[in-house]
Amino acid sequence: MDPETSKSGKNKFQMKHALIGLFCLLTLVLCYLVTSPTEAASRLQASNEAARQVHLISSNSASEKWTRLGELGRHAPLGSMLLQDANPVAQPPGSVLGFFQRMGDSSWSTGLHESRYAYDLIESVHVWALCLFFGLAVLFDFRLLGWTMRSVPVSEVARRLLPWTVVGFVIMVISGTLLFSAIPLRSYQNIFFRAKMIMLLLAGLNVWIFHSGIYKRVDTWDLAERAPKAARVAGALSLVLWVCIVLSGRMIAYNWFDCDRQPQPAIINFLTSCVPTQAER
Amino acid sequence: MSLLSLFQWCEQSGIGNAIRRSSWLFPVIEAIHLLGLGVIGGAVLLVDLRLLGLGLKRQSAAQLTRDAQPWIVGSLILMILTGGLLFLSEATKCYYHDAFWFKMTCLFLAIVFTFTIQRKVTMAEETRMSPGWGKVVAVVSVLLWSGVGIGGRWIGFS
Repeated sequence: MDPETSKSGKNKFQMKHALIGLFCLLTLVLCYLVTSPTEAASRLQASNEAARQVHLISSNSASEKWTRLGELGRHAPLGSMLLQDANPVAQPPGSVLGFFQRMGDSSWSTGLHESRYAYDLIESVHVWALCLFFGLAVLFDFRLLGWTMRSVPVSEVARRLLPWTVVGFVIMVISGTLLFSAIPLRSYQNIFFRAKMIMLLLAGLNVWIFHSGIYKRVDTWDLAERAPKAARVAGALSLVLWVCIVLSGRMIAYNWFDCDRQPQPAIINFLTSCVPTQAER
Repeated sequence: MSLLSLFQWCEQSGIGNAIRRSSWLFPVIEAIHLLGLGVIGGAVLLVDLRLLGLGLKRQSAAQLTRDAQPWIVGSLILMILTGGLLFLSEATKCYYHDAFWFKMTCLFLAIVFTFTIQRKVTMAEETRMSPGWGKVVAVVSVLLWSGVGIGGRWIGFS
């Protein structure tokens, strides 16, 4: 075995260990999140209860809404009540909406939603991993388009940087799932969330087509002045898709098209599977 | 004029008011700011991973710095422009927010560090510098830039 291959074998070995370490760390963080926010939630519940009382008394203009919430609060735990604010109508059991509603009612979800720091921390991790994943993936796209690192073989950029994008992607998916589980029903019905998921599928398809197609023959164009058209198209598509995914991901936070903001155009209600109540129409 | 009144003046400026009044301007500028973060993060990591011996290895750190430089500078300009607009729309809030001052400190240190010490170390590497220094520099760089990104995210949490 020549020294070069044995060296890259060793790197693979280290990479594997780094990945295992990362998974262990994430599991520990997950365990912590499961146990601790519930405690924080119970503390918050007490303070929120007090805040709600104040609202019930003081906000006359919105009194109807708050009374309605107060009614709900007698039967449901406070956390779920706050989450149902966006969609107070009970969803039929067995439906997808009902599934996410029950998910939102779980102590896991309410704990995460109401904890002082857990949600913010997970969101920070999500943003940090964006640099690792999006930043390096985009650099690879730039390389395919010939905008940077032209003297470095494409296969080498792929071999040395793409494993890091995999690490970044794993962190993104885990933190993203946690963020979703904190506000499941609203996220599921959010138009930007839906667009993001569809574009994620398309981006995955693009990666698959690239790696099973033109990249198989990479040794024929590794240092070419201009990468073949198929590779450039894949790079450009990936670039556009990931940019749109980041943009729509950021927009999930805004409620322009949320179900509780009726009236909305029929097309929006169709795309977000919202069924406005008679009063809202 | 005190710093606070300067910040208040920024918030009352025409641009600040326009961004605050619009329901979509702030989100759109913020999303572009986030894209800039992604690109600068990737370009910084490209160099830092090389210094740590974890990224591209056959290329010298000096060459990768030259490759990454336009992307770092370009996205830095984009981020300062969009960040400035975001700041104008909520300057007073920033004044009272610890995360804002944390971010600005990290940003200042990160820019100075990247373009002086780190540049010197990466460029000197070809004439054999002890690799230990490269690693220290890479870790400091990742920490400083992470501080900028995470500090920025926390300005949004109140």
